[in-house]
Order: sequence, then structure tokens, then C-alpha cells
Amino acid sequence: MSAKTMPAKPMSAERILSPPHRPGQGTRRLRLNLVAIPILLLISLVWVYPFLWTVSAAFKTQAGVFSGGASLIPDQLNFENFRRAWVNAGFSQFFANTVLYSAVSTLIEVVKAALCGYVLARYDFPGRQFLHRLIIATLFIPVASIIVPQFVLVEQLGLLNTRAGVILAMSGSAGALYVLMFTGFFSTVPNELFDAAKLDGAGFLRTFRLVLPLARPVIAVVVIFQFVSNWNEFNIPLVFTLGQPELQNLAVGMLSFRGEHSVDWSGFAAGMTISFAPMLIVFMLFQNYFVRGLAGATKG
Amino acid sequence: MTATLETPAPPDAGATPPARRRTRRRTPDPNRDQVRGFDKLWVFVFLLPFLLLYLGFTLWPLVATVYYSFFDWDGIGPIDNFVGVGNYGSILNDKLFWLAVVNTLIFAVLNTAIKLPLSLLMAIVLTRKWLKGTKVFRTVFFAPLIIPVAMAGLVFTYLLNPSNGALNALLLDLHIVDQPVDVFANRWSALLVLVLVSIWQIFGQYMIYWMAALQNVPEEVYEAADIDGASEWQKATLITLPMIKPVAVVILLLALVNAMHVFGLVVTLTGGGPGTSTYVVSYFIYQEAFGSVPFSYGYASAAALLFSVIAFVLVTSQGVFVRRAQQLRKEYGV
Repeated sequence: MSAKTMPAKPMSAERILSPPHRPGQGTRRLRLNLVAIPILLLISLVWVYPFLWTVSAAFKTQAGVFSGGASLIPDQLNFENFRRAWVNAGFSQFFANTVLYSAVSTLIEVVKAALCGYVLARYDFPGRQFLHRLIIATLFIPVASIIVPQFVLVEQLGLLNTRAGVILAMSGSAGALYVLMFTGFFSTVPNELFDAAKLDGAGFLRTFRLVLPLARPVIAVVVIFQFVSNWNEFNIPLVFTLGQPELQNLAVGMLSFRGEHSVDWSGFAAGMTISFAPMLIVFMLFQNYFVRGLAGATKG
Repeated sequence: MTATLETPAPPDAGATPPARRRTRRRTPDPNRDQVRGFDKLWVFVFLLPFLLLYLGFTLWPLVATVYYSFFDWDGIGPIDNFVGVGNYGSILNDKLFWLAVVNTLIFAVLNTAIKLPLSLLMAIVLTRKWLKGTKVFRTVFFAPLIIPVAMAGLVFTYLLNPSNGALNALLLDLHIVDQPVDVFANRWSALLVLVLVSIWQIFGQYMIYWMAALQNVPEEVYEAADIDGASEWQKATLITLPMIKPVAVVILLLALVNAMHVFGLVVTLTGGGPGTSTYVVSYFIYQEAFGSVPFSYGYASAAALLFSVIAFVLVTSQGVFVRRAQQLRKEYGV
């Protein structure tokens, strides 16, 4: 293969110039697009249908939801459902809790993972290898299987049925993977940089503050992934807020539509629309960070 | 990789020995600074937040789970009713637990077997240069990730319900069926629904994993293949797949392990039903530990531990199997 790539050199100049001149290229692209895009559109329609249904149901009356079948056109356009979800069903509270839980847990996770990952990557201290191996070994422990002792711990700290307890449990049980990501990244930073910092007389903290901005792609990945997964976290908030609706997040509070309100579908749809709209905007804004950041992180 | 990258470092490491007081038997790591003086404090401070939480929410719970599993404990009062391996004895005979284990494994395998190839295919398609509108499609597939699993479950219970859900309305309108279908009425169709809804939800995440893996394949390789006149299919099977194989193993493990934790969907979509036929292990643990009074923390802990061992053995043996297969391939040059 390498022998064949050798003559590529003289050809590459022609390749750069050629696209507009080569007749087959343009029509081939068009043909491929004509095949691929309709198929993708069809799959996409199936994929977003539940969203479209939810948004349209948010405007429907209860009767409209029941008689609507697969239809996406609401029988009316009123915002009464939104008001009911936001005020009566306590969505404003769920929403505020979700924002609080996601933001604070994500912050704690990023900070602890970055600090630990940095030290693991740059410094040799007794027990370093042991800690590193331990983290890898416990990487795949499912939350569900150790949630009972976590519950007991939070209870004994006197934090059961408090927001601090939920946040502690959420940010405590995740993060081993992120430590490894930071360790991987910081160990690819060239040693020369640290030597230069040392020559300039930078101490421990100054050096850290110097290299931290380099880790921006890793930080972006950790923040985005952890924020999304905290936003959607269900198991921990469910167990740690049993019977405390004012502490629940959106994912758990959503269940109240099933119980007390004997499934108020249009209200539920409105609540759901409220909860996914901000995340959709966040994702569309940071889309590129996802793929680029993840690619950067897996390289390390 | 780091070793090759930092080979020029040793002369520098040799320059520091004036302060050589290393009496430790550990071989010092040439790529890392030895911690001395005031820095010791900083290293400790930097490790502390992670270590505290790690100790409290991962290591101690692991040990405690083992400990609880030998007691009959309802979470109230002291843990003093030691029952030895009694919990394990009951679990081995608990039909519901084994049903949950089987369901979890079926779910995990089916889920992984469907979502990984499809998300890889979609990642390859959506990274083609010639394709228009990739950003829009990417957003579409990613969108389900931003709604909580439990909410997705609730939406689908409505869409799939037999009396006025969208699925049945569509099937009836198209005259594919004459009677509404209740997919939740039977264990197998309910499990299949769980698998499919879970794939719908998580698909985008695996697509992004694959895209990240694909980005690590150097563009020049494809350019060279283009010059050689390789087709898209040849490029995919002869270049892309072999080059992403190491990452693929990691993605496979992640997929399997994550699928074994399925919980929220089961709570909202089937509630373990019909009857108890779609119980999964995490739901079983939740029901035993927090579902009904009296709580049985000891029993739930034993179940959790037993399943963790089962899952660990399956996942690692699978990892070993993959490695063995790769070795064999290398040896025989297949």
C-alpha cells in the first residue's frame, strides 16, 4: 500500500485543482445525496416524532390528546397546560431543583476530577499507582448496586431529605472516568513546559493555573456530559427524595402526573416541553464541542 | 505513548539528583516529579476532594454492601441480626431474582447488539464529506438524550397504549392490524419495547463515541485510498473498522455495562409488568430496599453483590475473549 501511495505526491496538486473540472465528481455527490437524504429524513421523522407529539400535546386539550391518535396538529392553541404544569404541578420547583442539582454536581465533579487527574499525571507520590489501579477497577460499578450504603451514609450525615444530600450523592458516585480523562490529558503535556515554569520560579499552584487552560477540551467534555447526565438523573433523586416533592428534580417530579393527577397528559406534555427546551438550545449551541472535545479526549 | 513522548526527559531527571534522598524501594517514575517539601501539602489538598467522595460514595459502599449482605437488616436500629449466608441462600432460590437477572442480560445483549452496529453505520454516514445537512441530522439523533429516561418512558407509554396511542392509530389506519395491539401485555413484546425505546434514547451518545473514534483515523489514509480508487464500502471495511478496533472494544464494554444498569425506563415504561415479568436487577434491588415496608437492606445488598459478580465475570470474560480473538487473528494473519 505504501508503495502505491508514493506516486500520490505529483497527483495531489492536480487533485486540489480538479474538483470543478472533473465531470463525474459533482453528479456522483448529488446522486449520493439524493439517495441518502430522503432515507435520513424518514429515520429522523421517526426519531423526532415523540418530541413533536409532546410539543403538540402540550397545546391540546385533554380530549384533544385522547382523540388525536397519531396527529400532530393540536385541536387548539392555548397555554393553559403550561400554566397548570408550571404553577399547579410544581414544575417551577422541579425546574429550579434540576438546575441547582445539575450545576452544583457538575461543578464539584469537574473540580475534583481535574485536581486529582493533574496530581496523578504530574507527581509521583506513595500509593499513586495503587490509586490509579483502584479507580480503573471501580470504573464500572453500577450505582444501583451500592445505593443502599450511600443512602445510609447520607442519612447518618443528617443530610437525608435535603438538597445538599442529593447533590452530595449525585456528585459523589460519578467521576472516576473523568479523573482518568484528566490524567490522560495532563500526561501528554510536554515536560518542557513544566521545566520552563519551574525556571520562571512558578510554584505548585502557579504551574497548575498555567496548564489548566490547556485542558479546555477535556473540561468541555466533562461539563457537557456530566451536565446532561445530571439533568436526567433519576435513580439517585428518586431514592433520596422519596415523598419530598419540593426536593425532586424534573425526572422524578414528572412521575407525580401519573399518581395524584391520574395522568394529566396535556399537563405532562407541557411540563416536558418546558424541561427539554433549554437543554435543546444548550446542545445546539455547543454541538461542535461535543464531537471535537470527545475526539481530543480519546486521543490522550 | 507518553513514554516515547517523554524520552528526552531523563537528562533532566538526572540533573535533579542533588536532592536524592530516596530511600523508598519504589522505582521512581522518570516522567513524574517527586513530591517534596511544601508541595506535599498541595498534592494532598488536590487529592482530597476526590478521595473523600470516592471513599464515601464508592469504596465504603462497596465494603458496606458486602457487610450488610450477611445481616437481616431493615435500615432501622442497629445491624445485629447476623444471618451468615442466609440471604444468599434465599436469593439463590428466589425465582424473581433470577427472572430479573435473565431479563437484564437479555436486555443488555439485545440492546448492545442492535445499537452498536446501527450507531456506527450512522456515524460513518454522518461524517461523509459529501453529505449535506449533517449538523441537522446529528442534532436529531442526539435530541432524545436531553430528556430524562423516565420522561421518555412516560411519553412512550402513551404513544404505545392500545386505546388511543399513536402507534395503534397508525397501524389501524394503515390496516396492518384490525385489533389494537397492547405491547405491554406480554413479557417478550414488553422487553422488546424496553430495548427499542432505550436504543432510541441512547443512540446519539454512541453515535458521538463512534464519531470521536472515526476522527482519530487520519484523513490522509482515505485520500490515499481515494487515489487507489477504493469504494466507500472498501474504505469502511478495510480502513475504518480495523483502525477503530481498540476504541470499539471500550465502547462495547461501556455499552454492555450501561445497559445492565437500566432502571428509569423500567420504572416508567413497564413498572416491571405485566405482573413481574419484566423485572430487571436494578428494579429488583430498588423494590427490595425502598419499595415496600419492611425494607430489606440486607437482602437487597446480597442481590446487588451477587449480580455485580455475575456482571463482572461476564464482562471481563468477554473482554478476555475479545483480546484472545484479536491475538489469534494476529497470529494467523486473518
